[in-house]
Amino acid sequence: MTAIPAVQTQALGKRYGSKWALRDCTLAIPPGSVTALVGPNGAGKTTLLHLAISLIEPSAGDVRVLGWSAREQPQLVLPRVGFVAQDHPLYRGFKLVEMLRVGRELNPHWDDELARGRLARLGIPLDQKIGKLSGGQQAQVALTLALAKRPELLVLDEPVASLDPLARREFLQSLMEAVAEGGLTVVLSSHIVAELERVCDHLVILAAGGIRLAGSIEEIVGSHRLLTGPRAEAATIARTHAVVQSSHTERQTTLLVRANGQFADPRWQIEEVGLEDIVLAYLGQMAETPIVDPWQEEVAS
Amino acid sequence: MIWLSWRQQRTETLIAAVVFAIVVAVVLPTGLHIASVYDDQNIAACLAHPTEACRGNLDNFLVRWDSVVNIVTWFNLVPAVIGILLATPVVLEFERGTYRLAWTQSVTRGRWLAVRLALIGIGALLSGLLLTALMTWWRGPLDDVGSRLQYGFDFEGLVPTAYTFFAAALALAIGVVLRRTGTAIGLAFVVFFVLRIGILGWGREHYQAAVHKSWTTGEGPDLRGAWILSDVRGLRLAGGGAPDPRVIDSCLERSTKRLDSACLAQHHVVEYGGATFQPADRFWTFQAIEAGIFGALTVALVLFAVWWIRKRIN
Repeated sequence: MTAIPAVQTQALGKRYGSKWALRDCTLAIPPGSVTALVGPNGAGKTTLLHLAISLIEPSAGDVRVLGWSAREQPQLVLPRVGFVAQDHPLYRGFKLVEMLRVGRELNPHWDDELARGRLARLGIPLDQKIGKLSGGQQAQVALTLALAKRPELLVLDEPVASLDPLARREFLQSLMEAVAEGGLTVVLSSHIVAELERVCDHLVILAAGGIRLAGSIEEIVGSHRLLTGPRAEAATIARTHAVVQSSHTERQTTLLVRANGQFADPRWQIEEVGLEDIVLAYLGQMAETPIVDPWQEEVAS
Repeated sequence: MIWLSWRQQRTETLIAAVVFAIVVAVVLPTGLHIASVYDDQNIAACLAHPTEACRGNLDNFLVRWDSVVNIVTWFNLVPAVIGILLATPVVLEFERGTYRLAWTQSVTRGRWLAVRLALIGIGALLSGLLLTALMTWWRGPLDDVGSRLQYGFDFEGLVPTAYTFFAAALALAIGVVLRRTGTAIGLAFVVFFVLRIGILGWGREHYQAAVHKSWTTGEGPDLRGAWILSDVRGLRLAGGGAPDPRVIDSCLERSTKRLDSACLAQHHVVEYGGATFQPADRFWTFQAIEAGIFGALTVALVLFAVWWIRKRIN
């Protein structure tokens, strides 16, 4: 028996006017994983997350959450999904106790003890107005609200982008604690790659509205190598392995490749590469070879 | 969900309460005063049996309240203020992005929208009826003496409630499209009053064909309750042509400043007149038509807003 993916998309696309924000996205996020969705601003990360939780409707393809379509069966999906939107919107005029009441009244599996416990540990007073809290505290409140729903899937859109380094660390720390309690799948987007490796075990690289790479971080780091060797032999390498990035000097060439088997040629010096470098290589690759204008592609097909 | 909606409307409800406190502060003392003068001068008796002696009282009674009626005219703002106020929390939800929070709780978007709209509707209904009740009581004596159709129309019957609903729907529709609360409020105000003043000035009098009456003797029919659109009164010779001003002058009773009918007849001068008007008994027909117009616009705007929220947000 295979587990139902927490999020599964099939040729998913979203178009605004004639511009595709996300295109032909097929993806399965395994249950229990912590997946980072990385890519530059405007890559389609928010679009993908909003499609997943059905805040917006797809222009093409299909998306299922925990096996259900949130569009067709919102009453089945919504209670099982926690979402923290970008800039963690909250009712700023509400006191924290009132915000908790909102959570309690709007969610059948609401865990008030969890919410109050978390906020007490974070030292955020319940009678405080939300607008008066710091950005980091507001982010923690938003996370608390999402966690107290007792979701099976937690979706976070740029949760740490607006936070200072200390608040960022604290936020990710408390997220990891929640994950450690088990039974939770997390998908979070970020344009900051650093720190993600500590938190996440899966990675999806998104650029210009398309998926560039998806897989477990272990597998990704394990399969990518930096090769340095004779320039003349670069083409031979490219025949067997997928070259992600290359740079040349007069005689030498440096290749970042996704390995497909062993490297037989002893003239190549092989090095392991860090996750951040791999991600940057994939994003840099996009800048060099822009994808076909989707509109033209549509006309051609 | 109901608690959340109520909590989000709390500030607006408070402002609405202040608005109504102002209305009551003006309407209650003046209304009591108007009613007491109405009793003291036996206006009701005079209306039942208008004698020559008490007719002057009727005219004076209306003129007397001109300044306070002018102040109360400002309460035409109330349906717009309250209606727009009712829609603001929902617009704010889209401006601030908190709808993303609301829509990702366990309540479906359809239910969220239904509860929000229902609460706005209840607010519009209650405030519309409250304003209508206050103003109908206040205008009671004035409507007895003067024209309810012409002067009481905007504050009585069905239309104040219809205006309130319309203002709320307008602010909601503009707000969800612009997602800017300030701009939406301003724009809704402008559109509301352009439409209200347009209909008041050019539309309402055409709901039914006006009645025209002319007469050649006396002062003509009693048009006290009617909405007079235009009228002419004058003197001419029985055989045609303009009378000699000196003759008319000679027939003027200096004490009462009234023309002596016998004197005029003696000189073959006749009083004539004509009026184009909407009869007083058309009040409820006109109310139904105008409330229907604003009601239909409200329905259209709400449907548009719902469609926009469901299809176009994001």
